[in-house]
Amino acid sequence: MRSRPAALALAVLAVLAVSHGILAQTVGSQGAAKASVTDLTGVWRRSRRPPDNARRYTVFELAYSLTVDEPPMTPWAEEKFNAARPSIGPHEVPLSKSNDPVSKCFPPGVPRIYLQRGLPMEIMQIPGRVVMLFEYDHFVRQIFTDGRQHVQDMPPSWMGDSIGKWEGNTLVVDTTGFNDKTWLDLVGHPHTDALHLVERLRRVSHDTMTIDISIDDPKAYTRPWVSHSVYELKPEWTIGEVICEDDAGFTCMEKMLEPGK
Amino acid sequence: MRVKPWAPVLLAVVFVVVRAPLFAHHGSASYDINKLMTLKGTVTDFQFMNPHSEIFINANDSAGKSQEWVVEGLGVSTMSRVGWTKNILKAGDQVTITGNPARNGSHAMRLKKIVLPSGKELALQSAEDYAGQ
Repeated sequence: MRSRPAALALAVLAVLAVSHGILAQTVGSQGAAKASVTDLTGVWRRSRRPPDNARRYTVFELAYSLTVDEPPMTPWAEEKFNAARPSIGPHEVPLSKSNDPVSKCFPPGVPRIYLQRGLPMEIMQIPGRVVMLFEYDHFVRQIFTDGRQHVQDMPPSWMGDSIGKWEGNTLVVDTTGFNDKTWLDLVGHPHTDALHLVERLRRVSHDTMTIDISIDDPKAYTRPWVSHSVYELKPEWTIGEVICEDDAGFTCMEKMLEPGK
Repeated sequence: MRVKPWAPVLLAVVFVVVRAPLFAHHGSASYDINKLMTLKGTVTDFQFMNPHSEIFINANDSAGKSQEWVVEGLGVSTMSRVGWTKNILKAGDQVTITGNPARNGSHAMRLKKIVLPSGKELALQSAEDYAGQ
């Protein structure tokens, strides 16, 4: 390089950038007791805290959907939503009449996996990856933090292709590559294979993490919209086993509880 | 599930549905969350399992006649986090159970709270624990 000061500045910047990355990894490996803000390690459970005190919120709004208000659906999405027959929630139908893919044990996809059965997830950080292990059916999300770009030559998948980078104390996760076979939530809001999620994960205190999810899918929604969630650390919990097919074998209460007996 | 000498109605339930091809997870709407009832009775069986744990008890109705009831809880992970284990109940235990009755009037309840023979109470919060399950 001809300009020595510029070369020096570039070298200094490069060293700083690399060492920030190393520092984040090193500090993050010390465990939750000395958690740095860039350490999301732990078992987390989504809080059902209402967003404000404006009114009482139903459990359906807090636990079954991504936002309290309806998202800005296109006519295409409205038609799909009206055709959804969820097996739980305010518009539930008997399980045998539901067209919810999860009722047949298909993967819930993202972001629905966050809502699934109110169950916890565990975040583990290893070099080059942030791994989320969900108690529901042991689904795993791998968020690659090694600088790779999205895959271009693979077919769409149920859980999408996630890459992440730290912006200060926020992990920004970009996910594309979804198939269109899942519901966004438990009540049947739809999406297409053009779904693009940007999640911002931030540990705001030792015991609390916020996840803000921006949902962009122009055929389904007239503009991007954001879901805010708060997660509580559960240091005494370990991820257990919840298997979707156990629902399938659980027929002994169905007859007893059917309406109109 | 161990088959016990149930009353005829429950026996019919077992035979009819055990081979049903349906996926059977029912929502919590099968129970009336605005009503609470309490039963005192004797445990005949306890299944600590996914997706729902089940407690089978004999309780006397208002006329003093013994009735069989099934009390439905949650799955293993969730219940274990509020103190349940597979050994916490056994046949013969005298318990008091509070819960939401089945909407259709059958002898089924959704568990909210139990008082164990030792006097210890174990509770499941309503919306917080059941939402989405």
